[in-house]
Order: sequence, then C-alpha cells, then structure tokens
Amino acid sequence: MGQILSGYYIYMFSLLLVFIALATILHLQFGVTGIANFGLSIFWGFGMYAFALLVLKLNIPFVLAVILATVLTGIIALVLGRFILNLDSQSVLVATLAFLVIIEVLITQEKWLTNGVMGIGPIPFPFDFGVYTKFVYFLIILLFTVALMLYAGKLHSAPYGRLLLSIQDNEPLAQSLGKPTFRQKIIFFTFTCALAGFFGAMAAPVYNFLFPKYLGAEVTFTLWIALILGSRKRLFGGLVGVLVTVGLFDVLLETVVPIPEQNAVILYNAKYFLYGLTLVLVLMFRPSGILGDKKRSINIRNTSKLEKKEG
Amino acid sequence: MKLQEKKLHLKNIMKSFGGRKVVDIKELAIGIDGIEGLIGPNGAGKTTLINLITHKLRMDHGQVFYYSNGKEIDISKKSFDEIARLGMVRTNQVIQDFQSLTIKDSLLLSLATPRYERFYSIFSEKKLRKSAEQEIEKYLDYFHFENPDGHALSAGEKKLLDIIRCLLLKPKVLLMDEPTSGLPQNQTDLVIALMRKKTREEGMSILIVEHNLDLIWGVSENVYFMAEGEILIEGPPDEVRKNKTVVKKYMGEGDA
Repeated sequence: MGQILSGYYIYMFSLLLVFIALATILHLQFGVTGIANFGLSIFWGFGMYAFALLVLKLNIPFVLAVILATVLTGIIALVLGRFILNLDSQSVLVATLAFLVIIEVLITQEKWLTNGVMGIGPIPFPFDFGVYTKFVYFLIILLFTVALMLYAGKLHSAPYGRLLLSIQDNEPLAQSLGKPTFRQKIIFFTFTCALAGFFGAMAAPVYNFLFPKYLGAEVTFTLWIALILGSRKRLFGGLVGVLVTVGLFDVLLETVVPIPEQNAVILYNAKYFLYGLTLVLVLMFRPSGILGDKKRSINIRNTSKLEKKEG
Repeated sequence: MKLQEKKLHLKNIMKSFGGRKVVDIKELAIGIDGIEGLIGPNGAGKTTLINLITHKLRMDHGQVFYYSNGKEIDISKKSFDEIARLGMVRTNQVIQDFQSLTIKDSLLLSLATPRYERFYSIFSEKKLRKSAEQEIEKYLDYFHFENPDGHALSAGEKKLLDIIRCLLLKPKVLLMDEPTSGLPQNQTDLVIALMRKKTREEGMSILIVEHNLDLIWGVSENVYFMAEGEILIEGPPDEVRKNKTVVKKYMGEGDA
C-alpha cells in the first residue's frame, strides 16, 4: 500500500489533476470568454519556475512562495493582456503563442538563473509524512482542483458568466449595453492566468526537478486537444478530454502495456500520433466534442434547472 | 426650440471613408424630450452619424457634448461602453444577437449592473433574478415571445429583443436605427406605442432613423433631413414634408 501511495501512480494522478485544472482554465478562457490563449502552459510554467526559484534561491517558505508565484504570474498576464486582448482572436492566438516561445527560450537560455535544460531542483514537499507525503499532497491538489471546478460550474449560471458569454458571442453588442468588455477581459484573463500560475507552483514539488520542456508549446497543444476533444463549451469538457488524452495515452499506455525498453521511444512518438488520430475521429463524428451535442450547438447555460428550483 | 433644451450638441463632426466625406456637420443639436426623426436617402450618412455619436466609429474630428442632469459632458473622447453607461443607447439596424443566450438571459444581461458582474460574485444569480423579474415580465407580457426561455428564433423576435435590451437600461437618449424594419405591423404599433409612453412618462429622448415615412410623419415632433453627409433641413414634420429640397432629393416629385 505504501508503495502505491508514494510511487509512480500517485505522481501520475497528481499531474493528471493539475492538467484537468489547466484544461478547465482553458475552458473558462476560450470556451466561455473566447480568448484563444495559446500560451496557457507558459503561465503555468512561469508560476512553476517562479515558485521553484523563490524556494530554492531565496529560501522563502512554501505558502508564501505559492502566493508570490501566483501574483507574479497574474502581473505578467495583466501586462500581456493589456496589449493583446483588444485584438481579434486570431491575433490573440499568435501573440500568446509568440509570448510562450519567448519565455520558453528565456528560461532555457538564462542558465545562471534556471540552469537551462539541465533543470532545477530538487523542490521539497512542504511537509513530511513519511510514505504518505505524496498522498497527502495529492489530496491537497485534489481539493484545489475540485474547488476550481466548483467555481467554474457556479460561474456558468452567474451574471458574470453571462457577461463573459456575451463578450464571446458579440463584443460590440455587449459594449453597446454599457459593458466594459475590454476591462473585463483583462481582469478575467489575469485572474485565470494567475490560477494557472498557482497550479504551476503546486505542481513543482510533484515534478521535483523542473525542465523547460514541461512548459513548452507541446503542453499547450495537449491542453487544446484535450479541451476540444471533451467539448470546449462544457464544464467537464476539459476533464473528459484530459482523461482521454493524457490519462489514456500517457498513464494507461505507459503503465499497462508491456513494451520492451529498446522500443520506449516509439511510444513517446506514438502518443502524439494517437492524440491526433483521436482528435480527427472525434471531430468527424462529434464536431462539438465528446460531451457536446451531436450537432453543433451553442447553448451551454442550463436555465431550466434554475427555473425549477425557484418555482 | 431653444438650443439649451436639447441633450446633444454636435460641433464640426467629420468622417470620411477613403477620401469620401460621409458625414460633415457644422453644428447640430438633437434630443428633445420626445421623438425625433432622421430621414434621408440611402448613403446619406444616417447610420454613420449614429455610429459617430455613440462612438462605435471614431470621428476624424469634431466634438459631441451631452447634457445630463444639468451637466455638460464632452463625450467625443469617451469609449462606446462608457457612453452607454452615461445613458445614451442605440438599437441596431442589422440584427444583432447573443447566440448562446436565451431571451431571458439576454434581458438579465442587460439589467445586471457592474455590482453583479465581478469575477468573484458567483452567488448573485438568485438576487439578480429576483430584482429583475418584475421588469422583465412586464416586457415579456407586452411583446409576445414564443418561448422566453429559449433562443430568439425569428428576425422579428431578435429585433424586438434588441429594443427591449436597450429600454431595460433606462436610457436618457435612445437612438433607433430602423427599429421597425422586419417587424409585422401589429408589433410595429406596439413598439411605437411604447416609445410614446416612454418619452411622455420618463422624459426619454428618442431619435428614429427610418425609411417608413408614414411612421416618421406620424410620431415625430421634429424631423431632420440628411443628404450627402449634411443636415439640410430641420423642422416640424409638416414643414419638412412640404420642403422642396426634401421632395426633390428624397421623396420624388410625384409623392408630394
């Protein structure tokens, strides 16, 4: 029992949770508000590296470091958002992707700070419960992931969610009703990117050693594929998508299928092939995702439930 | 009509697209407590003028002053949404809708004040619905919608929805760009009756841009005739109607 709780499984499940959280954040940004953030993984990675550097170089205690990393990520998002969020969505996509590449190169190149591709670490857990340490940490991540899902679910039926949807649907019309759409987009982008930074900081001890490849474009692509697979408009779209991609191909394939060691590289490459194949199949047969309706549908608010409660 | 009693003063407004002057107005005051009409041939710059006033389009130069509660506000530098919050709202000529919002949602969006729209206030839905219920019901009873909990389906429903969304904001100045085009006659009558009521009871100023001239002569107290980017004639409907320029440039000799 102790072996399972401290070993590979708990490591994989912790990461799975973090990815579910990230995909849900992407759902909030892209599925609800319509911000095509192709740089999500860099905000996550920024939080992760900021946290690691604060802990390792400045010996700042865990909780404070998490908070600082979150706030720093938020500030970065605020500055970036101020410049790009009034552009159309294609431009936002390119700008965030460019931003991702810039930060990724910086983290790889500035070896004096980040140790480049050699990675930095080890990042300690904030507490020590012997073999249960990783398990308790997993539970904490679970708690925050569930909290995020609850927030997202509540947002769907809140006035703010309605505002975000209206921005996605028809921004000029929302403006004509007196909604400060640009400011709201900046606020929400900052908040959700800071959340990504928070989960990055939380993920750092799970990884133990950090490498630039953890925050590259590949990660963003994986998240996008996951969200579109699951359905970008649905609350559980990110969750289902991550389970189907990362869960199925990374965790299940790597642990269950016995592959001779000399062929292990094939599996790594096959993974992206399988992602792509799944995406093509899903888009062919369910264009709005696994959880989406069979036809392209646009309605994600379930008002009938609220009506019943009141009646 | 004295200048001071109007809510909007426009000075030296200019807008050109690719060298062609679309709107060029030296001085104009609009916004009496009542309904005004803006008429003119296609391409006269009527919609552009509304877009310039509400700042949906940026003007090349010029100033717009807005009078509210005895204060003079220069709105030429204010943003589109800020102007709407100051009490000047517009309805759209081309049908505009939020495709993922139902009719009720759309109306609730319009009624939600900034107090409700913060990313952390996720438990305020019930409160909003409670405070908004009466007002929304009033409009939903007045105009008949097939299914208020569903999406607006027909063009007419979307057009009505656009108007109701604006009215829920309780504007002081309402600019309506062809409000009745695409509406059946009975709905048009309902809209007009409501407009009259609003101007009488709430002191709202309404400017209607229309091609349906019978409607303009019937409802407006003051009519502006616009052609080639300029306001050529202003006056009571009876005068404008008989004016030679208007007849020649717009209505055609036979109709006078």
